[in-house]
Amino acid sequence: MAFAPLLRGIGFGAVGFLLGSGLGAIVRVTMGLDPWSAEALVVVGYIFGLVGWLLGVGVWGTWAREWFGLAARRGEAQGWRRYLRFSTDHKVIGVQYLVTFLVVMLLGGVLAVLMRAELMAPGKTIMTLNTYNNAMSLHGILMVAVAVAAIIGGLGNFLVPLLIGAEDVAFPRLNALSFWVIPPVAVLLLLTPLMGGFDSGWTAYPPLSVINAQGQTLYLLAFITFGFSSILGGLNFIATVIAMRAPGMTWSRLPIFVWSIFAASLISLTATQFVAFALLSVLLDRVAGTSFYDATQGGNALLYEHLFWFYSHPAVYIMILPAFGVALEVLAHFSRKPLFAYKWVVGAFMAVVGLSFLVWAHHLFTSGMSDFLHLPFMVTTELISIPTGIVFLSSLGTIWLGRLWLTTPMLFALGFLFNFLIGGITGIFLADVPTDLHLQDTYFVVAHFHYTIVGGEVFALLAGVYYWFPKLTGRMYSERLGKLHFWWVLLAYNVTFIPMFWAGLHGMNRRVADYSPELGGINLFISIAAFVLAASFLLMLVNLARAWVRGPAAGANPWKARTLEWQTSSPPPAENFPAEPQVVGAPYDYGVPGSRHAVVAAKGASEGEEKRDGDAAPRNQED
Amino acid sequence: MLVVALLWAALTFVGEVLAVRLTPFRPAAAEEGDLIDSAFRSLTILSVPVLAFVLAVLAYSVLRFRVPGDPTQDGPAIRTHRPTVTTWLLVTTGLTVAVIIFPGTTGLLELHDRARHVDMVVQVQAQRYAWKTTYPEYGFSTWELVLPVGRRVRVEVTSTDVIHSFWVPAFRMKVDAVPGLVTTTVVTPSKAGSFQDDPDFRIQCTELCGVGHSVMRAPVRVVELSEFEAWVAQQSRSQ
Amino acid sequence: MAVQPEALARHRLSRMALNRMGLWLFLLSETFFFAALISSRYYLQGLARPETLNQALGLGITMVLLLSSLSAYRAETCIAHGDRKGFQQNLLATIALGLLFVVGVAMEWREAFVHFPPNTGFGSIFFTMTGIHAFHVLSGLLVLTLVYMLGRRGHFSAGSSWGVEGAVKYWHFVDVAWVFIYPTLYLVT
Ligand code: HEA
Ligand code: HEA
Ligand code: CUA
Ligand SMILES: [Cu+2]
Repeated sequence: MAFAPLLRGIGFGAVGFLLGSGLGAIVRVTMGLDPWSAEALVVVGYIFGLVGWLLGVGVWGTWAREWFGLAARRGEAQGWRRYLRFSTDHKVIGVQYLVTFLVVMLLGGVLAVLMRAELMAPGKTIMTLNTYNNAMSLHGILMVAVAVAAIIGGLGNFLVPLLIGAEDVAFPRLNALSFWVIPPVAVLLLLTPLMGGFDSGWTAYPPLSVINAQGQTLYLLAFITFGFSSILGGLNFIATVIAMRAPGMTWSRLPIFVWSIFAASLISLTATQFVAFALLSVLLDRVAGTSFYDATQGGNALLYEHLFWFYSHPAVYIMILPAFGVALEVLAHFSRKPLFAYKWVVGAFMAVVGLSFLVWAHHLFTSGMSDFLHLPFMVTTELISIPTGIVFLSSLGTIWLGRLWLTTPMLFALGFLFNFLIGGITGIFLADVPTDLHLQDTYFVVAHFHYTIVGGEVFALLAGVYYWFPKLTGRMYSERLGKLHFWWVLLAYNVTFIPMFWAGLHGMNRRVADYSPELGGINLFISIAAFVLAASFLLMLVNLARAWVRGPAAGANPWKARTLEWQTSSPPPAENFPAEPQVVGAPYDYGVPGSRHAVVAAKGASEGEEKRDGDAAPRNQED
Repeated sequence: MLVVALLWAALTFVGEVLAVRLTPFRPAAAEEGDLIDSAFRSLTILSVPVLAFVLAVLAYSVLRFRVPGDPTQDGPAIRTHRPTVTTWLLVTTGLTVAVIIFPGTTGLLELHDRARHVDMVVQVQAQRYAWKTTYPEYGFSTWELVLPVGRRVRVEVTSTDVIHSFWVPAFRMKVDAVPGLVTTTVVTPSKAGSFQDDPDFRIQCTELCGVGHSVMRAPVRVVELSEFEAWVAQQSRSQ
Repeated sequence: MAVQPEALARHRLSRMALNRMGLWLFLLSETFFFAALISSRYYLQGLARPETLNQALGLGITMVLLLSSLSAYRAETCIAHGDRKGFQQNLLATIALGLLFVVGVAMEWREAFVHFPPNTGFGSIFFTMTGIHAFHVLSGLLVLTLVYMLGRRGHFSAGSSWGVEGAVKYWHFVDVAWVFIYPTLYLVT
């Protein structure tokens, strides 16, 4: 009965949906309205359906029973079945996130390929204008979800407790809840075409998003639900890092990846509420008859833009901070050197968190907001380069004079630096008001954010996935295929997105299914490159899938790294460590004679430091 | 160190030459556009050394410090290096301040200054999916934007339905058309031209507004003053 | 290297302290939601306020809610001192006052529908703000009711009253939120 929890969730969800929409219809009748309004009923039905789904999939059995004074049911499944249920093990949840978002990313990628096919030539190629707008919007929101949650939810969940020497996160059941609201998000988004799709881009500016097809309502519900998950996830990480560290794990000994997740969580916890309200206000305009965005009734579309970007700018740092964390982590271990200027990096992360709340209106330079806001927002935005620059200082300082071990994860981390540099610097062109007046909403922006998100974050995600794959699965992937994947992606990626800067400068604006004929050549070029890029991901899939099933055993510490996650077996046992680790030193003190990061006292005495031994495989605590 | 410095110098040199030579623009057709192009160029010139530096260190480190196979030794235990950190902070702060002042603030102030005195006003109304231009001084409306060379124009933009955005690539200027709001942008056309000869002479909607967003364009024509007056006279007669 | 575990700083918190921190973090997060609401009111409407607001009713329900915070506080101290009876009485009073507040909001809505319906500028803000707050009140009532039922079945005692504490803290938060919403809607000019 591996599928029992899922089936129960779906069943309860369906019952909830019917109950909710029925209730909605009754309320409408009592208010003297026509009982049939697809959108209103879907909204009420969805809320009940979501509750039903969660209860069915496991919240009732493992948790909610306690609220009614009943004993909760315990017991974990084994093997792959764990991944199909409401497991509270952070390692299971991490893998659930990673796999889910990998699939979502492939779906988003398939949409990108279709979009590029349409853009191969001016005029209609394979889809109508409306289909294009819908595909583009869906690509945007799916990918934004991937970018916001893949590293934090996936790698963060799996690794943060391990890295700080804890048994689990602070609130394991809440953690499971944060994951299990994600499948409904994906389902809603994929169902949007059934209700006419949504053609508002991922940003959903009203009044368009108030008056367009009903698919928009599903988008709104999905995004709000996603925000809910991210808030709870952030809360959990903050509490975990504050309260669950192993003895001796002082703040100045935290691995940098933990710091990055902590910083990003501060943003998820707070800023997300703003987008929740922004989306809610659009939803109310659509189904409850309010007029936030109806200019004839005193509404103002700019309100939405401010609320939306108050979250969505900080959100780009929710994406990139953990990416910095992964990249720095990988660079330090594979340079076999301490992380350069560790304390400065931590300070920089916090500075980015602080500044990220003060820059949102750089997305509104052409929106018609008051002129006097231009200067302050330009200044704050450009100030962010300074803390971000420190990440580069640390990276370069770390590899300098190191013993670089150019494995696949290391290559991806180096590729991250290269790509993100281009993404970051082109951000300066957008932050500068005069140039932004021309560049706003052109392909220059599209290129900028693919450089920061795909070239930056996704490269770091891939670095992390390759780096920790042996820990996640206990098996080793093929380095040869991994390196081939890296060079393929790096080249195809840059060849695809560099020309977009040029196209943007030359009059190619965003979100268009059709464009001036003179831009045909460059778009054909971009499209072909994009297809080559997409194909590279198949290589990764093959490599990882094959390794997961029958790769060679990886051993506990294939990279001879010092941090705690490598001091336990691969994959780690349910309780993570055989005994509570004692942290006695800094995490990256490579090259410091006699230093060690942690002691994991146990049968067989695994040690915090494993360098220079010819045999890389430290004692395994496999049970 | 010396090798890196040389590499940096070489990359910077190549980059700067490319940045100056390979101007990525077709020439702008408005004075404000020239301002924006020169802002773009100065940003490029400023960012080339930054790019070159990171690239040089990256490339040198990868080639020089790589170890074939598994490393059997650790690198030197350098945790931090105060002079390097201080220099880095000073340089990046300096660069940021430079960028904020020039071209950021100066360009912004110049654009604001220009908005103070204008020679004429044109009203542009966006609606799905067309642009209507009204000349309030002459009291007529058309579906194309015609402007005389050398006159500073305030374009007052609004929308009747959803948000659109008014952008003429040849002028480089852009401002959203928001329902219930009148937004403005100021342009001083500096070169005659028309949509027939140069696709940059078009109003292009740049805010997603629905199914027709990508084809929501209107032709723009910049003509000599005399020709403009003739056109105005003819339009006024026919309306 | 011999390591003395006692010599190492300990960071782990007790379950209770952890729960408390979780709740505070959640409330911090919620604060941002209300901040978004309140700033939207000023953004859209400035300081405008219709004369037709029922000031007496507004003041009335504010008093009711403040009183309910008092009784909630007393319920919490009672159980902390092992006074089960006082705990239950005060909790019931809190629930009753909460319900009274909801009734007050409903009456307010009836009038508001006439004077400034939701499709007007002020109406949008008014209904959204009071509605979202009422939603919080209702969920607070749900939690308080659960706590009450569990209390009747003999759960909670002087030493173990996290459920009560959590519910009451949340209730206070809902009250404080109203303390900011009330002047934003009824008092500013
Ligand atoms: C991971 C995501 C991510 C990241 C990290 C960034 C980082 C930055 N972004 Fe980007 N941005 C997006 C994702 C991201 N962005 C997205 C998705 C959009 C479009 C949204 C939409 O409309 O759909 C967008 C749009 C966007 C705009 C609006 C464009 C428009 O619509 O008109 C602006 C304008 O200011 C901007 C600026 C910046 C800046 C200044 C940074 C800075 O943080 C970059 C700082 C980094 C560096 C500068 C490089 C390293 C620094 C050094 C080596 C030190 C020395 C350098 C200097 C002193 C310059 N971005
Ligand atoms: C994580 C974020 C992310 C990622 C990874 C990508 C990846 C890609 N994006 Fe996307 N993009 C966005 C985020 C992202 N994008 C956002 C936020 C927008 C803005 C939307 C808006 O304006 O509202 C956007 C918009 C956008 C546009 C502009 C659309 C427009 O304005 O009209 C374009 C155009 O070329 C584009 C192209 C691509 C391409 C070619 C890729 C490639 O990198 C894709 C590579 C391919 C894959 C990753 C998957 C490969 C899959 C297969 C080979 C099939 C295998 C499948 C199975 C086995 C099931 N994207
Ligand atoms: Cu009008 Cu896009
Ligand atoms: Cu931003």
